[in-house]
This record gives sequence, structure tokens and C-alpha cells, in this order.
Amino acid sequence: MSPSSTMYKGKTGQWAFVLHRVTGFLVFMFILLHIVDVSTLNSPHIYNSIHRLYGNVFLRLFEVGLLFALLYHALNGLRVVMIDFFPKAIKNEKGVFLFMLSLAVIMTLVGAVFILKPFVTGKV
Amino acid sequence: MASTIKRDSIENGSQRRSPRQNFETWSWLFMRVSGIVLFFLALVHFFIMHIMHDVTTTTVAFVAARWSNPLWRVFDWLLLALGLLHGTNGLRYIMDDYVRSPVRRMIVKASVYGVSGVLFFIGTLTIVTFK
Repeated sequence: MSPSSTMYKGKTGQWAFVLHRVTGFLVFMFILLHIVDVSTLNSPHIYNSIHRLYGNVFLRLFEVGLLFALLYHALNGLRVVMIDFFPKAIKNEKGVFLFMLSLAVIMTLVGAVFILKPFVTGKV
Repeated sequence: MASTIKRDSIENGSQRRSPRQNFETWSWLFMRVSGIVLFFLALVHFFIMHIMHDVTTTTVAFVAARWSNPLWRVFDWLLLALGLLHGTNGLRYIMDDYVRSPVRRMIVKASVYGVSGVLFFIGTLTIVTFK
């Protein structure tokens, strides 16, 4: 693969690309971990104790991070698809990037309320 | 992509671009199509398992009740298969970009494909054999 085929030109496009790559990598690393933890389903004690561990506040913060990575990668991915398939539909790439990024941040904050609520109310 | 179009238009004069497609074209298309499908699969999965239900309540009993409907097993298997393929192919781009030495690249790629293959097998086995 030649370098030019993977290199974006322009400031926001390049940041969108870097963030897309980093979040994609992180989500993939989580999938690998997740397949291993789900594979303990046939040993209920191990599975249930792993899921109690996921209720720990540090792993809840990690869960919020995963939500942001997933949301950003999904929303920016839609932007990439729109640019590739309907190049005339997007006139303001930078604006769409900032919109998707803001949407990912807002949805992460809303999700964080649900994910961290059991910790705040003292149920965990 | 742009360079392909340019090269083809030079070879074919003013004719339309050649319809010949190579592996990278299909890889490009696969990432877009699987990405759109994963957009729904992954976000629905996250919403149900992490927002509607707390992570500590998604126990073995919870999964047993959920997987009593075979459609959820199909849903989860599709997420597993497409997620691993999309992710492994994404990692292939990353390896092509950053692992420059051919020998090292071959070793790293073989390891990544091996791990993905083994995890695909483990994941499929879990979804199929769980009772």
C-alpha cells in the first residue's frame, strides 16, 4: 500500500483519521477481551465473578471510554461512507466532523449517567 | 482510489474507467458495507447490555433467557463475525502502515490473523454450545 492511499490531507480530516484509527484499534482490543470473557459462560461461577468485577468503578470508567470509542468510530464511519458514496451530499466536511464528534461526546455523557449511576447511588 | 482512476483513464483514453476490481477494492467496499451493518448491531448491543441493563445484572441466567430466542444468537454471531472481520482488516491497514520490515510484517500479520481465527472459533463455539 502506497503512503498516499492512507494519508488524508487537511487539518481536521487528519485528526478525524487519527481518532478513527485509535478508537477502532481500542474497540477491537476490547472485542478480543470480550470474546474471552463470554467464553466462560459454560463455567457460570467464573462468568458471574468476572461480571461482578466489571461493576468495579474503574472498569465502569473503562466502559464509558469504550462507549465513546464506539460512538466516535460509528459516527465518523458514517461520515466516511457519506463522503465516499455521496461525495456531493457533504459540502462542509469539517462541519460534519465537528457535528459527529460533538454528538459522540454528548451521547457518551448521557450514557455515562446510566453506567455510573449504580456506583453513585451506592448499589455497587 | 484517485490514482487508479487516473491511471485507467490514461490507459483507456477517454473511455470509462476499467471495471476490473482487485482485492483492495473489495476490502474498501467490505469496510463500508460491514461498517453500516455494525453501526446498528454494535450500538443496539451496547444499548441493551450496558444502558438498559447494568453490567452486573447480565449474569449467566440473563444470557440463558436472552439466548433462548435463537434470533439473538444469530444477532450476536453476526456481531462476532462482522466485528472480527472488520477489525482484523482494519488492523491489516495499520500493520501495512507501521510495520515496515517485510519479515516482521509477515510475523505480526500471521500472529494477528491467528489470534482472530482462534477467537472466532472460541466465540462461535460459545454461541452454539451454550445451554
